[in-house]
Amino acid sequence: MTSFAVSLLRFAAAISFVWLLGYAMTRALLPVRPRSERLGWGLAVGCALLAVGKAIGFAIGVTSAFTLLVALGLFLSIRFPVRAAPETAPPRAGPRWPEILWGVAAVLGVLLYAFHALTEPMWAGDYLAIWGLKGKAFFGASEGVPHLFENPAFGFTHPEYPVGLPLLYAGLASLARRWDDHAMALLFPCFLAATLLVLYGFLRRRGASAAVALAAAALLANFQGLYSAFLTGMAEVPLAFAFLLLATSLADAWDARSDGAMRRVAAASSIAAATKNEGLLLVVLGLLMTWALAWKGRTRARAGRLSLALVVPAALSAIVHRMVLGNHPLRDFDLALLGSPELPARLWEGLSAFFTLYVLPQWAGLLLLAGLLLAGRSVPAGNRLLLLCAAAVAVYVALPALAVQGPEWLVTWSVGRTIAALAPVATAALALRFSAE
Amino acid sequence: MSVIARIHLRRTAAAASAVPLLFVLLAANRPGELERRLAHLAHYAPRPLEVRRLGGSSTAFDRRFYFFLESARRKLPEDVAGVAVFGPESEQARNLVAYQFAPLPAVVRPRPIPAGWIAAVYGPVRPPGWRHVADVSDGALMWPAP
Repeated sequence: MTSFAVSLLRFAAAISFVWLLGYAMTRALLPVRPRSERLGWGLAVGCALLAVGKAIGFAIGVTSAFTLLVALGLFLSIRFPVRAAPETAPPRAGPRWPEILWGVAAVLGVLLYAFHALTEPMWAGDYLAIWGLKGKAFFGASEGVPHLFENPAFGFTHPEYPVGLPLLYAGLASLARRWDDHAMALLFPCFLAATLLVLYGFLRRRGASAAVALAAAALLANFQGLYSAFLTGMAEVPLAFAFLLLATSLADAWDARSDGAMRRVAAASSIAAATKNEGLLLVVLGLLMTWALAWKGRTRARAGRLSLALVVPAALSAIVHRMVLGNHPLRDFDLALLGSPELPARLWEGLSAFFTLYVLPQWAGLLLLAGLLLAGRSVPAGNRLLLLCAAAVAVYVALPALAVQGPEWLVTWSVGRTIAALAPVATAALALRFSAE
Repeated sequence: MSVIARIHLRRTAAAASAVPLLFVLLAANRPGELERRLAHLAHYAPRPLEVRRLGGSSTAFDRRFYFFLESARRKLPEDVAGVAVFGPESEQARNLVAYQFAPLPAVVRPRPIPAGWIAAVYGPVRPPGWRHVADVSDGALMWPAP
């Protein structure tokens, strides 16, 4: 067997182990069915516990923290499972061939992404400078890596970024007993597969036909604006997964579904905030929408309880980061520019760069997306998710005005991929517009 | 319009957008690029991780420099506190240097060089007064002058 094949097998075994453990614990978050959604959540739960276990091991030297967390998680899932009536998927209607075609296209998308991701060791600049560097350092160091968070020469590693993904890298490498940043890329197609499982399961139980759910999965799986070799190793792919977990949980909670939605909101909130700062932003936008919906009387959710489920886990994640690793300012932004007379010109510069770089070259795809949007009907859950995406896009497009290195720089290097991370939520929102009437 | 007719129309409109959209997305896979990736994977898969990285995109800006870094990493004395690399000052070099030596701290041309850090000097020029430790590919490991 080749060097790469051996490493790949080790990482495949490590990811499968974590995924299965996570799946066993999802009874505390989701009803028994649909299984696909539980399976998708399983990877998120397993990865989150592995990263938390690694963090506890680092902070207080308890090397068996992951084992203890798994034991606790299994106990909770057995003792406090979500009790809800099984969801009944809409009856099968029409011919099966569209389902088969869309299903094949979805599997093809996952396989193509796996091929792109696994061609060579993870290589993107931000992987080497931020996510991979911290993960490799966490894996290799026995007593912490203070230089990454205290030495100004390492400011380029963004010490203010959450460390969930680097801790996950270190945890997986510990399970595989080696650092192989080529084989570890297998995690990314697994993230895509889990995202599709959650998307499919969510759409089915919210009334979409199998053909619509599979079509949504197929379109998302083949979206190389997100699932590309370049973004493999960086935070956008896991962030997109976390966004979908958070948005679908919120959609359920806003409809006051008594199927563990509140627990899922809390879990997804902590996962999103620990993955990237944009996760915190989506939590804040979700909170604002919760209050707006409650104020307008458009939701049956208990706004106070939902606000706590949203905010507490994310805030806890951010506070623990600052207490343990230091309170670092956002390196790329200068908030003083908010009061500057240059602000309108900078906003315009960012907007025009955004249109030139992303909107105009992608006009055909965007036009077809608009066609899909118009072909659907107004569904409250879908509309809310679209509004959540639109609010996030508005913030991302405005933020470059505060960029230290200039609006165009931030739009060029960051805004496109950050907006791409909203693709799973946007897909879910669009597909909900085709759910059963 | 009846409900059934409306649903039929909606389905037709959705398919008319979704199917071309799938083709637009699939068109991003260029056969030439897929072939190149397959050949790359077939060539490098049997080789150790360091060689796979050497053939990859992160070292394309200066593959000799990566060879130098890996050679220096293998010859580092056990008790070094960090590595000061005297090589190219680009962002790509900075990222690769930090990543390559992790978990050890490693920085391109730090000023001043922190105590206990060894210098990895790329190229033929040797700073005067520094103590030679070992020759590495395209460079040397040296203790900086105090």
